[in-house]
Amino acid sequence: MSQPPMTETRSGMDRSGAITFDRTLRGLTGVAVRGFLLSLVTFGIYRFWYVTELRRYFWNRTVVDGSPAEYSGTGKELFLGFLVAVAILIPVYVLIFVATISAPWLAAFGSLLSFLILFVLGQFAVYRGRRYRASRTLWRGIRLGQDGSAITYALMAIGWSLLTLLTLGLAFPFMRASLERYRINHTLIGSSRMESTARGRSLLLPWLAFYVVVFLPIVGALLAFLVATDFNIPDDLFVPKEGGKPGETEFNSDYDGTPIATFGALLLSTLGITFPLGLLLIPFYRARETRLFMNAASLGSVHLSSTLKARQFYWPYFVYLLSVIGFVLILGLVIGGGGLLLQTQGMESGFHWMLVLGMVFGYLGGALFFAVLYVRVITARLWAAVATTTVVENAGGLDAVLASSRRVGSGLNEGLADALDVGGALEVGF
Amino acid sequence: MPAHAVYGTYSDGLSARAHPVTLVLEDSLEITGQDLRLAWTLADLAAGDTAAPLMRVGPAGRAERVEFTDEALAAALKDRCPDLYRSDPSASGGRLRLVLWSIAAGISVIGLAIYGVPAIAVRLAPVVPAAIEARLGGAVDGQIGKILGDPPVCNDAPARAVLDRLIERMTANGGLPVDPAITVRRHAIANALTLPGGRVVVLSDLIDQSRTPDEFAGVLAHEFGHVAARDPMRALLAASGSSFLLSLVLGDLTGSTILVAVGQAAISAGYSREAENAADTYSVEVMSRSGGDATALATILERIAKDDEKAEFASLLRSHPFTKERANRIRAMAGTETVGRRILDETEWATLKGICRNVPAKTAK
Repeated sequence: MSQPPMTETRSGMDRSGAITFDRTLRGLTGVAVRGFLLSLVTFGIYRFWYVTELRRYFWNRTVVDGSPAEYSGTGKELFLGFLVAVAILIPVYVLIFVATISAPWLAAFGSLLSFLILFVLGQFAVYRGRRYRASRTLWRGIRLGQDGSAITYALMAIGWSLLTLLTLGLAFPFMRASLERYRINHTLIGSSRMESTARGRSLLLPWLAFYVVVFLPIVGALLAFLVATDFNIPDDLFVPKEGGKPGETEFNSDYDGTPIATFGALLLSTLGITFPLGLLLIPFYRARETRLFMNAASLGSVHLSSTLKARQFYWPYFVYLLSVIGFVLILGLVIGGGGLLLQTQGMESGFHWMLVLGMVFGYLGGALFFAVLYVRVITARLWAAVATTTVVENAGGLDAVLASSRRVGSGLNEGLADALDVGGALEVGF
Repeated sequence: MPAHAVYGTYSDGLSARAHPVTLVLEDSLEITGQDLRLAWTLADLAAGDTAAPLMRVGPAGRAERVEFTDEALAAALKDRCPDLYRSDPSASGGRLRLVLWSIAAGISVIGLAIYGVPAIAVRLAPVVPAAIEARLGGAVDGQIGKILGDPPVCNDAPARAVLDRLIERMTANGGLPVDPAITVRRHAIANALTLPGGRVVVLSDLIDQSRTPDEFAGVLAHEFGHVAARDPMRALLAASGSSFLLSLVLGDLTGSTILVAVGQAAISAGYSREAENAADTYSVEVMSRSGGDATALATILERIAKDDEKAEFASLLRSHPFTKERANRIRAMAGTETVGRRILDETEWATLKGICRNVPAKTAK
């Protein structure tokens, strides 16, 4: 069935265009199973073609204002980029190694030094990887692009990270907003430049939730503990465990029932409760940040408007977590049953080879199951949540976008991110 | 089949404006709109991987696109356009070639890690400066200590003096690249380890299990053989080079990670058969020269290996799996003239056996 085009609604400049995503995910399982298995037998080399296939799938099923996006990257480009990155990285690794070995005073800072170098390289790689993905994205035949300097981006990232450390994390939302502005302000659709007005202070409130839930209770419990010990923690709080392994300690029973023990227990349980709570807050913050960044992005008179809810980010993780728990339970039952059988049959029966075989297949099957589940549940649902809650306002303004005549960047940009394994290397998303 | 008109949108690749058009499939795909009349050759058309019923086609290599949602037209195009999905590698035989080449490349890299890197390490180990080797040895020593649970150092002064004299006798004119530094640690495994930089760690159970001083000295001389050949440096270079290569090239995929781990364990489990034989030869020479029983090494090897047979699983990855063959080889080399000689007298041996007196005995487990 074909319908007449909606010429009347298309002409209005102030109409809004929906972003839709095909939620049936037909064919995605096949792509994921094939990608995982082929990556396995090819020692991981196939992963570049797998991620290309995934991207083509997600891009083409995301329809912006009636027209599907298009991904024109190839696995070969990613693979060549990876080879070049390896060629660059090996000398870097060797240099770091030789430097720490031959200069004794440097050895103490060896891990710090390599972390710093790899962090800067990693941020560089993240930016160049995004440039590659942008340049391989088309919409209505118009190619996206990204300019700006990856070196500037990497320096900004490290400067902001240091500031975040110095301010006990308070600068984090400002860092995120600043980097987002740099990314979006250097993103081009055809020859039109996007613009972001993301501000860190609008992110401050969701970010402060971490302080309320995690930071303050720990500080409070720590202070109470210090007051209870008169700011003088006894040295003999933990004594070597009798009959235990060397280095194993136990709580000194002399302190049983004292305020020190009570508040010490309080401190430990506070740590035990607040850290999981902090983990639970991450999707909430991510959803808020995504919504804010979306709302801040514009292209001339065209701008995005997002109604993303935090629960849309929680649900995929919840489903995934339940599946993991279910899988572990089943695995535990199988292993327990196998162990029982093994005890009754004895080692001689050759039965343990079956068990080993079963474990190998269990491991591979489990890995395959989780790889597919991850793509279907986490990747696809998060993608769908962001896409379908976003609306293009004044979509008529998109008609004015013209193709750019700039050269398309080389495909060698994203390999470094994969070789370094940074920032969700070979991400499907933007 | 009568060609029917389908509504769609056309974009020219120069601007993002969507032009409403009608599409008719004849000998070519005819596109008609306001001020617009195009005919695309079917052989040129390529389609995107969009979700049905939405379809996007355009001439391959050009930026023009037409989008429509008509399944009949989509099916007809699939029938009549030979190259509609050719840019998609899943549609061609390219994937099989890719997989086969990747497997070949992976095997080649693994081969390089298992055979190539050790071969490079053999050439490289002798040129590593002594200072660097010593520093590496210190780092490995700390690591080994951690793995074994920080066993205390046995350092009873009279026993240590006996040991030092013994070492001096054994290493005189031994052609060692560095003076070996021997530490004894209290541990319930009968073993001795050679680390880079001439460090030898003797675990006290080896002394307890030795029935004659020559058995202990034979093992010690064997370790000196590894020092002479710089085997630890070689093994360290080979293991780190191989694991670096494997983890870098294979990437971080669930299945490969475990491959890397197993590979590393298998690679670093011990020295090659040749290296062990060379160290045995060295041991026989040293023991014959310094007045000991050169066959004692074979005796203690066989006794300790017999205990190991119970723990069948662990011995898969142990570094000395071919005990019988080695013992025969040692006896053949040593001959019979040294049998029964003692490298230390009874009192010295009794003193040495008490080297862990300075460390308080462990409480019963």
